[in-house]
Amino acid sequence: MSDSKWTGVLNIDIEDRGGRSVPKNVYFHDGLKVQRPIYHGNTGIPCYYILNVGGGYLDGDSYKIDVRVRENAKLTLTTLGATLIYKTPTKPVTQKTDIFLEEDSYLEYLPDPVIGYENASYRQFDNIYMKKGATLLYSDIVTPGWSSTKGQSFSYDMLQLKTNIYLEGKQVVYDHVKLEPAVQKMNVLGFMEDFTHLGTFIVLDEKIDDALINRLYEVIDELPGDFKAGISKLTTSGFTVRVLANKTQEIQSVISACHNLITKEWYDRIPNFLRKY
Amino acid sequence: MDKSLLSLFQLCDSNFPSGGFSHSFGLETFVQFDKVHDPDTFSQWLELFLNEQMVSADGLAIQIAYEALENDNLDKLWEMDHLLTIQNMSRETREGTKYMGRSMVKIADAIYDIENISLYKDRVKEKKSFAHTAIVFAIIGHHLKISKEETILYYLYTTVINLVQNAVRAIPIGQTAGQKIISDFQPKLIKAVEAIGQLEQQDFGTIAPGLELAQMQHERVNVRIFMS
Repeated sequence: MSDSKWTGVLNIDIEDRGGRSVPKNVYFHDGLKVQRPIYHGNTGIPCYYILNVGGGYLDGDSYKIDVRVRENAKLTLTTLGATLIYKTPTKPVTQKTDIFLEEDSYLEYLPDPVIGYENASYRQFDNIYMKKGATLLYSDIVTPGWSSTKGQSFSYDMLQLKTNIYLEGKQVVYDHVKLEPAVQKMNVLGFMEDFTHLGTFIVLDEKIDDALINRLYEVIDELPGDFKAGISKLTTSGFTVRVLANKTQEIQSVISACHNLITKEWYDRIPNFLRKY
Repeated sequence: MDKSLLSLFQLCDSNFPSGGFSHSFGLETFVQFDKVHDPDTFSQWLELFLNEQMVSADGLAIQIAYEALENDNLDKLWEMDHLLTIQNMSRETREGTKYMGRSMVKIADAIYDIENISLYKDRVKEKKSFAHTAIVFAIIGHHLKISKEETILYYLYTTVINLVQNAVRAIPIGQTAGQKIISDFQPKLIKAVEAIGQLEQQDFGTIAPGLELAQMQHERVNVRIFMS
Protein backbone atom coordinates (compact mmCIF):
# COMPACT_ATOMS: atom_id res chain seq x y z
CA MET A 1 0.00 0.00 0.00
CA SER A 2 1.42 3.40 -0.89
CA ASP A 3 1.58 6.07 1.80
CA SER A 4 -1.33 8.03 0.36
CA LYS A 5 -3.71 5.15 1.13
CA TRP A 6 -3.18 5.69 4.85
CA THR A 7 -4.50 8.54 6.95
CA GLY A 8 -1.15 8.65 8.66
CA VAL A 9 2.21 6.89 8.37
CA LEU A 10 5.13 6.78 10.76
CA ASN A 11 8.50 5.11 10.32
CA ILE A 12 11.14 5.00 13.01
CA ASP A 13 14.47 3.24 12.51
CA ILE A 14 16.99 3.41 15.35
CA GLU A 15 20.61 2.27 15.42
CA ASP A 16 23.33 2.13 18.03
CA ARG A 17 26.28 4.45 17.51
CA GLY A 18 28.89 3.86 20.17
CA GLY A 19 26.51 3.28 23.05
CA ARG A 20 24.10 6.01 22.05
CA SER A 21 20.94 5.13 20.13
CA VAL A 22 20.25 7.49 17.28
CA PRO A 23 17.71 7.75 14.44
CA LYS A 24 18.91 6.11 11.26
CA ASN A 25 15.75 7.09 9.49
CA VAL A 26 12.59 8.75 10.75
CA TYR A 27 9.76 9.53 8.42
CA PHE A 28 6.13 10.52 8.84
CA HIS A 29 3.31 11.47 6.57
CA ASP A 30 -0.08 13.16 6.97
CA GLY A 31 -1.92 12.17 10.14
CA LEU A 32 0.97 10.97 12.30
CA LYS A 33 3.99 12.87 13.49
CA VAL A 34 6.91 12.72 15.90
CA GLN A 35 9.12 15.53 17.10
CA ARG A 36 12.86 15.29 17.67
CA PRO A 37 13.60 12.64 20.27
CA ILE A 38 14.24 13.55 23.87
CA TYR A 39 17.17 11.95 25.66
CA HIS A 40 16.44 11.65 29.35
CA GLY A 41 19.49 11.78 31.61
CA ASN A 42 22.58 10.02 30.26
CA THR A 43 20.96 6.74 29.27
CA GLY A 44 21.56 7.31 25.57
CA ILE A 45 18.00 6.13 24.91
CA PRO A 46 15.90 8.34 22.64
CA CYS A 47 12.25 8.83 23.51
CA TYR A 48 9.79 9.57 20.75
CA TYR A 49 6.30 10.91 21.36
CA ILE A 50 3.80 9.94 18.66
CA LEU A 51 1.37 12.71 17.85
CA ASN A 52 -1.94 12.34 16.06
CA VAL A 53 -2.06 15.51 13.99
CA GLY A 54 -5.84 15.65 13.76
CA GLY A 55 -6.31 15.26 17.51
CA GLY A 56 -8.37 12.11 17.18
CA TYR A 57 -9.17 9.17 14.95
CA LEU A 58 -12.24 9.51 12.72
CA ASP A 59 -14.47 7.27 10.65
CA GLY A 60 -12.50 5.00 8.34
CA ASP A 61 -9.09 6.38 9.33
CA SER A 62 -6.17 4.03 8.85
CA TYR A 63 -2.74 4.38 10.37
CA LYS A 64 0.49 2.53 9.78
CA ILE A 65 3.49 2.53 12.08
CA ASP A 66 6.79 0.80 11.35
CA VAL A 67 9.52 0.59 13.93
CA ARG A 68 12.94 -0.99 13.69
CA VAL A 69 15.39 -1.08 16.54
CA ARG A 70 18.70 -2.32 15.24
CA GLU A 71 21.34 -4.44 16.98
CA ASN A 72 22.15 -3.15 20.49
CA ALA A 73 20.02 -0.03 20.01
CA LYS A 74 17.42 1.12 22.52
CA LEU A 75 14.20 3.06 22.13
CA THR A 76 11.37 4.43 24.23
CA LEU A 77 8.19 4.97 22.29
CA THR A 78 5.04 6.57 23.64
CA THR A 79 2.28 8.90 22.56
CA LEU A 80 1.81 12.56 23.33
CA GLY A 81 -1.70 11.89 24.57
CA ALA A 82 -4.48 9.35 24.49
CA THR A 83 -5.62 7.89 21.18
CA LEU A 84 -9.17 9.19 20.85
CA ILE A 85 -11.51 7.19 18.67
CA TYR A 86 -14.62 9.12 17.65
CA LYS A 87 -17.76 7.67 16.18
CA THR A 88 -17.27 5.54 13.09
CA PRO A 89 -20.67 5.34 11.38
CA THR A 90 -19.40 3.58 8.26
CA LYS A 91 -15.96 2.03 8.80
CA PRO A 92 -13.84 1.19 11.85
CA VAL A 93 -10.57 2.99 12.45
CA THR A 94 -7.59 0.69 11.94
CA GLN A 95 -4.01 0.97 13.07
CA LYS A 96 -1.32 -1.46 11.99
CA THR A 97 2.04 -1.52 13.65
CA ASP A 98 5.01 -3.66 12.68
CA ILE A 99 7.99 -3.68 15.00
CA PHE A 100 11.34 -5.33 14.35
CA LEU A 101 13.69 -5.79 17.26
CA GLU A 102 17.12 -6.95 16.18
CA GLU A 103 19.59 -8.83 18.35
CA ASP A 104 20.16 -7.36 21.82
CA SER A 105 17.94 -4.37 21.09
CA TYR A 106 15.55 -2.84 23.60
CA LEU A 107 12.12 -1.30 23.17
CA GLU A 108 9.72 0.09 25.69
CA TYR A 109 6.42 0.83 23.99
CA LEU A 110 4.16 2.58 26.47
CA PRO A 111 1.39 4.43 24.65
CA ASP A 112 -1.37 6.34 26.39
CA PRO A 113 -4.79 4.70 26.49
CA VAL A 114 -7.05 4.13 23.53
CA ILE A 115 -10.33 5.86 24.36
CA GLY A 116 -13.43 4.74 22.52
CA TYR A 117 -16.22 7.32 22.32
CA GLU A 118 -19.87 6.74 21.50
CA ASN A 119 -20.40 4.41 18.51
CA ALA A 120 -16.69 4.14 17.81
CA SER A 121 -15.06 1.03 16.36
CA TYR A 122 -11.31 0.50 16.39
CA ARG A 123 -9.09 -2.33 15.24
CA GLN A 124 -5.44 -2.42 16.20
CA PHE A 125 -3.04 -5.00 14.80
CA ASP A 126 0.43 -5.08 16.30
CA ASN A 127 3.05 -7.51 15.04
CA ILE A 128 6.39 -7.64 16.78
CA TYR A 129 9.32 -9.63 15.43
CA MET A 130 12.13 -10.18 17.90
CA LYS A 131 15.61 -11.61 17.54
CA LYS A 132 17.42 -13.33 20.37
CA GLY A 133 18.69 -11.12 23.15
CA ALA A 134 16.08 -8.46 22.41
CA THR A 135 14.00 -6.96 25.20
CA LEU A 136 10.40 -5.82 24.82
CA LEU A 137 8.21 -3.95 27.27
CA TYR A 138 4.81 -3.50 25.69
CA SER A 139 1.63 -2.03 27.10
CA ASP A 140 -1.85 -1.08 26.08
CA ILE A 141 -4.87 0.32 27.88
CA VAL A 142 -8.42 0.57 26.58
CA THR A 143 -11.05 2.77 28.16
CA PRO A 144 -14.49 4.05 27.34
CA GLY A 145 -14.80 7.77 26.55
CA TRP A 146 -17.12 10.17 28.25
CA SER A 147 -20.57 10.45 26.73
CA SER A 148 -22.96 13.28 27.54
CA THR A 149 -25.88 10.86 27.73
CA LYS A 150 -24.25 7.78 29.25
CA GLY A 151 -21.37 9.15 31.33
CA GLN A 152 -18.29 6.96 31.38
CA SER A 153 -19.82 3.70 30.30
CA PHE A 154 -19.47 1.36 27.37
CA SER A 155 -20.92 3.54 24.64
CA TYR A 156 -18.35 2.56 22.02
CA ASP A 157 -19.23 -0.22 19.59
CA MET A 158 -15.95 -2.14 19.58
CA LEU A 159 -12.31 -1.91 20.57
CA GLN A 160 -10.16 -4.70 19.19
CA LEU A 161 -6.46 -5.15 19.84
CA LYS A 162 -4.62 -8.06 18.33
CA THR A 163 -1.00 -8.54 19.26
CA ASN A 164 1.28 -11.16 17.77
CA ILE A 165 4.83 -11.48 19.00
CA TYR A 166 7.41 -13.68 17.28
CA LEU A 167 10.78 -14.68 18.67
CA GLU A 168 13.30 -15.88 16.09
CA GLY A 169 10.42 -16.53 13.71
CA LYS A 170 8.32 -18.55 16.13
CA GLN A 171 5.12 -17.06 17.50
CA VAL A 172 5.30 -16.77 21.28
CA VAL A 173 2.42 -14.40 22.05
CA TYR A 174 -1.09 -14.28 20.64
CA ASP A 175 -3.19 -11.75 22.48
CA HIS A 176 -6.66 -10.91 21.25
CA VAL A 177 -8.68 -8.35 23.18
CA LYS A 178 -12.04 -7.60 21.66
CA LEU A 179 -14.52 -5.63 23.69
CA GLU A 180 -17.77 -5.20 21.82
CA PRO A 181 -20.44 -3.56 23.97
CA ALA A 182 -22.68 -3.30 20.89
CA VAL A 183 -23.24 -7.08 21.09
CA GLN A 184 -21.69 -8.26 24.39
CA LYS A 185 -22.76 -7.97 28.00
CA MET A 186 -19.80 -6.18 29.57
CA ASN A 187 -20.41 -5.98 33.31
CA VAL A 188 -20.87 -9.68 33.97
CA LEU A 189 -18.90 -12.04 36.15
CA GLY A 190 -15.81 -13.22 34.31
CA PHE A 191 -15.93 -10.45 31.72
CA MET A 192 -15.40 -6.78 32.68
CA GLU A 193 -17.22 -7.35 35.99
CA ASP A 194 -17.41 -4.00 37.87
CA PHE A 195 -14.74 -2.36 35.76
CA THR A 196 -14.50 -0.18 32.64
CA HIS A 197 -10.75 -0.08 31.90
CA LEU A 198 -8.51 -2.92 30.76
CA GLY A 199 -4.73 -2.80 30.73
CA THR A 200 -2.04 -5.17 29.48
CA PHE A 201 1.69 -5.21 30.07
CA ILE A 202 3.75 -7.83 28.25
CA VAL A 203 7.47 -8.16 28.84
CA LEU A 204 9.85 -10.49 27.03
CA ASP A 205 13.48 -10.86 27.96
CA GLU A 206 15.81 -13.82 28.39
CA LYS A 207 16.45 -12.75 32.01
CA ILE A 208 12.85 -13.31 33.16
CA ASP A 209 12.41 -16.22 35.55
CA ASP A 210 9.84 -17.37 38.12
CA ALA A 211 11.62 -15.52 40.95
CA LEU A 212 11.28 -12.17 39.15
CA ILE A 213 7.59 -12.87 38.46
CA ASN A 214 7.11 -13.59 42.16
CA ARG A 215 8.77 -10.29 43.10
CA LEU A 216 6.58 -8.44 40.61
CA TYR A 217 3.53 -10.13 42.06
CA GLU A 218 4.50 -8.93 45.55
CA VAL A 219 4.93 -5.37 44.29
CA ILE A 220 1.53 -5.37 42.57
CA ASP A 221 -0.10 -6.99 45.59
CA GLU A 222 1.06 -4.16 47.86
CA LEU A 223 -0.21 -1.35 45.62
CA PRO A 224 -3.22 0.54 46.91
CA GLY A 225 -6.20 1.15 44.66
CA ASP A 226 -9.42 -0.31 43.39
CA PHE A 227 -8.18 -2.62 40.66
CA LYS A 228 -7.84 -6.30 39.94
CA ALA A 229 -4.58 -7.60 38.50
CA GLY A 230 -3.02 -10.87 37.47
CA ILE A 231 0.46 -11.85 36.36
CA SER A 232 1.51 -15.06 34.67
CA LYS A 233 4.45 -16.52 32.82
CA LEU A 234 4.40 -16.99 29.04
CA THR A 235 5.56 -20.17 27.32
CA THR A 236 8.85 -18.35 26.73
CA SER A 237 10.95 -16.08 29.01
CA GLY A 238 8.35 -13.42 29.62
CA PHE A 239 5.15 -12.56 31.37
CA THR A 240 1.80 -10.83 30.97
CA VAL A 241 0.20 -8.53 33.49
CA ARG A 242 -3.50 -7.89 33.03
CA VAL A 243 -5.34 -5.20 34.98
CA LEU A 244 -9.01 -4.32 35.35
CA ALA A 245 -9.79 -0.90 36.85
CA ASN A 246 -12.04 2.12 36.58
CA LYS A 247 -9.28 4.68 36.11
CA THR A 248 -6.35 4.89 33.72
CA GLN A 249 -4.07 6.00 36.60
CA GLU A 250 -4.73 2.74 38.48
CA ILE A 251 -3.58 0.70 35.48
CA GLN A 252 -0.60 2.98 34.92
CA SER A 253 0.42 2.60 38.56
CA VAL A 254 0.55 -1.20 38.14
CA ILE A 255 2.51 -0.96 34.90
CA SER A 256 4.88 1.66 36.39
CA ALA A 257 5.51 -0.45 39.49
CA CYS A 258 6.54 -3.40 37.31
CA HIS A 259 8.54 -1.17 34.96
CA ASN A 260 10.36 0.39 37.94
CA LEU A 261 11.31 -2.93 39.47
CA ILE A 262 12.60 -4.32 36.17
CA THR A 263 14.61 -1.19 35.34
CA LYS A 264 16.11 -1.12 38.83
CA GLU A 265 17.08 -4.81 38.78
CA TRP A 266 18.35 -4.98 35.21
CA TYR A 267 19.91 -1.56 34.70
CA ASP A 268 20.20 -0.17 38.21
CA ARG A 269 18.33 3.02 37.40
CA ILE A 270 14.79 4.34 37.49
CA PRO A 271 12.71 4.60 34.29
CA ASN A 272 12.47 7.95 32.60
CA PHE A 273 9.47 9.94 33.58
CA LEU A 274 7.55 10.45 30.36
CA ARG A 275 6.75 14.11 30.92
CA LYS A 276 4.10 15.13 28.43
CA TYR A 277 2.25 18.24 29.45
CA MET B 1 -26.06 -49.57 14.87
CA ASP B 2 -23.32 -47.05 14.92
CA LYS B 3 -20.12 -48.10 16.63
CA SER B 4 -18.30 -44.84 15.91
CA LEU B 5 -20.74 -42.96 18.11
CA LEU B 6 -19.91 -45.36 20.96
CA SER B 7 -16.24 -44.69 20.35
CA LEU B 8 -16.83 -40.97 20.75
CA PHE B 9 -18.98 -41.50 23.84
CA GLN B 10 -16.02 -43.20 25.48
CA LEU B 11 -14.04 -39.99 25.00
CA CYS B 12 -16.87 -37.87 26.43
CA ASP B 13 -17.46 -40.08 29.46
CA SER B 14 -16.85 -38.30 32.72
CA ASN B 15 -14.87 -41.35 33.81
CA PHE B 16 -12.45 -40.96 30.92
CA PRO B 17 -9.14 -40.21 32.65
CA SER B 18 -8.36 -36.94 30.87
CA GLY B 19 -7.47 -35.13 34.08
CA GLY B 20 -10.38 -32.68 33.84
CA PHE B 21 -11.21 -33.69 37.39
CA SER B 22 -8.18 -31.75 38.66
CA HIS B 23 -8.74 -28.48 36.80
CA SER B 24 -11.29 -25.78 37.56
CA PHE B 25 -10.07 -23.26 34.91
CA GLY B 26 -10.34 -20.38 37.34
CA LEU B 27 -13.64 -21.43 38.90
CA GLU B 28 -11.94 -22.09 42.22
CA THR B 29 -10.76 -18.46 42.39
CA PHE B 30 -14.36 -17.25 42.02
CA VAL B 31 -15.44 -19.72 44.70
CA GLN B 32 -12.69 -18.51 47.06
CA PHE B 33 -13.76 -14.89 46.60
CA ASP B 34 -17.37 -15.97 47.13
CA LYS B 35 -18.39 -14.72 43.67
CA VAL B 36 -19.62 -18.20 42.80
CA HIS B 37 -21.45 -19.78 45.72
CA ASP B 38 -24.65 -21.51 44.51
CA PRO B 39 -26.19 -23.12 41.41
CA ASP B 40 -27.30 -19.72 40.03
CA THR B 41 -23.95 -17.97 40.29
CA PHE B 42 -22.23 -21.12 38.99
CA SER B 43 -24.56 -21.20 35.96
CA GLN B 44 -23.71 -17.56 35.22
CA TRP B 45 -20.02 -18.37 35.44
CA LEU B 46 -20.40 -21.47 33.26
CA GLU B 47 -22.36 -19.56 30.63
CA LEU B 48 -19.63 -16.94 30.41
CA PHE B 49 -16.96 -19.66 30.24
CA LEU B 50 -18.87 -21.39 27.45
CA ASN B 51 -19.76 -18.33 25.39
CA GLU B 52 -16.40 -16.59 25.67
CA GLN B 53 -13.55 -19.02 26.26
CA MET B 54 -15.02 -22.17 24.74
CA VAL B 55 -16.56 -20.54 21.67
CA SER B 56 -13.66 -18.37 20.53
CA ALA B 57 -10.81 -20.67 21.60
CA ASP B 58 -11.43 -24.43 21.91
CA GLY B 59 -14.61 -24.60 19.83
CA LEU B 60 -13.31 -22.48 16.97
CA ALA B 61 -10.01 -24.38 17.09
CA ILE B 62 -11.87 -27.68 16.59
CA GLN B 63 -13.76 -26.19 13.66
CA ILE B 64 -10.57 -24.95 11.99
CA ALA B 65 -8.70 -28.19 12.79
CA TYR B 66 -11.55 -30.33 11.45
CA GLU B 67 -11.67 -28.34 8.21
CA ALA B 68 -7.88 -28.62 7.97
CA LEU B 69 -8.20 -32.41 8.27
CA GLU B 70 -10.80 -32.42 5.49
CA ASN B 71 -8.25 -30.62 3.32
CA ASP B 72 -5.29 -32.73 4.45
CA ASN B 73 -3.70 -29.57 5.77
CA LEU B 74 -1.77 -30.91 8.76
CA ASP B 75 0.29 -27.74 9.12
CA LYS B 76 -2.91 -25.89 10.00
CA LEU B 77 -3.72 -28.56 12.58
CA TRP B 78 -0.38 -28.10 14.34
CA GLU B 79 -0.72 -24.32 14.05
CA MET B 80 -3.99 -24.52 15.99
CA ASP B 81 -2.32 -26.63 18.69
CA HIS B 82 0.29 -23.88 18.97
CA LEU B 83 -2.15 -20.94 18.96
CA LEU B 84 -4.52 -22.62 21.44
CA THR B 85 -1.65 -22.96 23.85
CA ILE B 86 0.02 -19.58 23.51
CA GLN B 87 -3.25 -17.60 23.52
CA ASN B 88 -3.77 -18.90 27.04
CA MET B 89 -2.00 -16.28 29.13
CA SER B 90 -2.50 -18.09 32.43
CA ARG B 91 0.37 -20.50 33.06
CA GLU B 92 -1.59 -22.89 35.28
CA THR B 93 -4.56 -23.18 32.97
CA ARG B 94 -2.25 -23.55 29.99
CA GLU B 95 -0.27 -26.29 31.69
CA GLY B 96 -3.52 -27.91 32.79
CA THR B 97 -4.81 -28.12 29.22
CA LYS B 98 -1.40 -29.35 28.06
CA TYR B 99 -1.44 -32.09 30.68
CA MET B 100 -4.98 -33.11 29.73
CA GLY B 101 -4.06 -33.04 26.06
CA ARG B 102 -1.09 -35.32 26.70
CA SER B 103 -3.13 -37.87 28.64
CA MET B 104 -5.80 -37.87 25.99
CA VAL B 105 -3.46 -38.25 23.04
CA LYS B 106 -1.72 -41.14 24.83
CA ILE B 107 -4.95 -43.00 25.58
CA ALA B 108 -6.36 -42.21 22.14
CA ASP B 109 -3.24 -43.67 20.59
CA ALA B 110 -3.80 -46.87 22.57
CA ILE B 111 -7.49 -47.30 21.73
CA TYR B 112 -7.77 -46.01 18.16
CA ASP B 113 -5.71 -46.80 15.13
CA ILE B 114 -5.49 -43.28 13.68
CA GLU B 115 -2.40 -42.13 11.84
CA ASN B 116 -2.82 -38.45 12.79
CA ILE B 117 -3.12 -39.35 16.47
CA SER B 118 0.18 -41.26 16.27
CA LEU B 119 1.72 -38.29 14.47
CA TYR B 120 0.39 -35.91 17.12
CA LYS B 121 1.74 -38.13 19.90
CA ASP B 122 5.17 -38.15 18.26
CA ARG B 123 5.13 -34.38 17.78
CA VAL B 124 4.26 -33.91 21.45
CA LYS B 125 7.06 -36.26 22.45
CA GLU B 126 9.50 -34.36 20.24
CA LYS B 127 8.23 -31.06 21.72
CA LYS B 128 7.05 -29.87 18.31
CA SER B 129 3.47 -29.61 19.60
CA PHE B 130 2.07 -28.83 23.03
CA ALA B 131 -0.99 -31.19 23.04
CA HIS B 132 -4.55 -30.02 23.49
CA THR B 133 -7.77 -31.98 23.98
CA ALA B 134 -9.57 -29.85 21.36
CA ILE B 135 -7.12 -30.99 18.67
CA VAL B 136 -7.41 -34.64 19.80
CA PHE B 137 -11.20 -34.33 19.56
CA ALA B 138 -11.01 -32.85 16.06
CA ILE B 139 -8.77 -35.70 14.85
CA ILE B 140 -10.93 -38.44 16.38
CA GLY B 141 -14.26 -36.87 15.35
CA HIS B 142 -13.02 -36.50 11.79
CA HIS B 143 -11.68 -40.05 11.75
CA LEU B 144 -14.96 -41.51 13.09
CA LYS B 145 -16.88 -39.53 10.47
CA ILE B 146 -18.80 -37.65 13.13
CA SER B 147 -19.83 -34.29 11.66
CA LYS B 148 -17.84 -31.18 12.50
CA GLU B 149 -20.75 -29.63 14.39
CA GLU B 150 -21.36 -32.76 16.46
CA THR B 151 -17.67 -33.11 17.26
CA ILE B 152 -17.71 -29.55 18.63
CA LEU B 153 -20.97 -30.17 20.46
CA TYR B 154 -19.63 -33.32 22.20
CA TYR B 155 -16.45 -31.48 23.15
CA LEU B 156 -18.39 -28.62 24.70
CA TYR B 157 -20.69 -31.09 26.44
CA THR B 158 -17.72 -32.96 27.92
CA THR B 159 -16.23 -29.71 29.18
CA VAL B 160 -19.54 -28.71 30.78
CA ILE B 161 -20.07 -32.03 32.57
CA ASN B 162 -16.50 -31.96 33.87
CA LEU B 163 -16.92 -28.44 35.22
CA VAL B 164 -20.27 -29.28 36.79
CA GLN B 165 -18.71 -32.27 38.55
CA ASN B 166 -15.95 -29.96 39.81
CA ALA B 167 -18.54 -27.40 40.97
CA VAL B 168 -20.38 -30.11 42.89
CA ARG B 169 -17.20 -30.69 44.89
CA ALA B 170 -15.83 -27.14 45.07
CA ILE B 171 -18.79 -24.90 45.86
CA PRO B 172 -20.38 -27.35 46.79
CA ILE B 173 -23.71 -27.78 45.03
CA GLY B 174 -25.94 -30.86 45.15
CA GLN B 175 -25.71 -33.65 42.57
CA THR B 176 -29.31 -33.00 41.49
CA ALA B 177 -28.64 -29.27 41.08
CA GLY B 178 -25.61 -30.22 39.01
CA GLN B 179 -27.60 -32.50 36.72
CA LYS B 180 -30.25 -29.79 36.39
CA ILE B 181 -27.56 -27.39 35.14
CA ILE B 182 -26.28 -29.94 32.60
CA SER B 183 -29.82 -30.35 31.34
CA ASP B 184 -30.44 -26.57 31.24
CA PHE B 185 -27.25 -26.11 29.26
CA GLN B 186 -28.32 -28.31 26.35
CA PRO B 187 -29.89 -25.48 24.30
CA LYS B 188 -26.97 -23.20 25.22
CA LEU B 189 -24.53 -25.79 23.86
CA ILE B 190 -26.38 -25.96 20.56
CA LYS B 191 -26.40 -22.15 20.35
CA ALA B 192 -22.68 -22.09 21.06
CA VAL B 193 -22.02 -24.51 18.18
CA GLU B 194 -24.10 -22.26 15.89
CA ALA B 195 -22.12 -19.22 17.06
CA ILE B 196 -18.85 -21.04 16.32
CA GLY B 197 -20.13 -21.80 12.81
CA GLN B 198 -20.25 -18.04 12.17
CA LEU B 199 -16.63 -17.49 13.18
CA GLU B 200 -13.43 -17.47 11.16
CA GLN B 201 -9.80 -17.77 12.14
CA GLN B 202 -9.47 -13.98 12.54
CA ASP B 203 -11.97 -14.23 15.43
CA PHE B 204 -9.87 -16.78 17.30
CA GLY B 205 -8.94 -16.55 20.97
CA THR B 206 -10.60 -13.41 22.29
CA ILE B 207 -10.10 -13.09 26.02
CA ALA B 208 -12.68 -12.85 28.79
CA PRO B 209 -10.75 -10.45 31.05
CA GLY B 210 -12.26 -11.38 34.44
CA LEU B 211 -12.03 -15.07 33.71
CA GLU B 212 -8.42 -14.81 32.58
CA LEU B 213 -7.51 -12.77 35.67
CA ALA B 214 -9.09 -15.40 37.93
CA GLN B 215 -7.11 -18.10 36.12
CA MET B 216 -3.91 -16.11 36.70
CA GLN B 217 -4.82 -15.39 40.32
CA HIS B 218 -5.41 -19.08 40.98
CA GLU B 219 -1.62 -19.49 41.07
CA ARG B 220 -1.74 -17.50 44.34
CA VAL B 221 -4.96 -18.81 45.88
CA ASN B 222 -4.30 -20.21 49.36
CA VAL B 223 -6.63 -23.15 49.67
CA ARG B 224 -6.72 -25.21 46.53
CA ILE B 225 -8.34 -28.49 45.64
CA PHE B 226 -7.67 -27.96 41.93
CA MET B 227 -4.45 -27.57 39.97
CA SER B 228 -5.88 -24.63 38.00
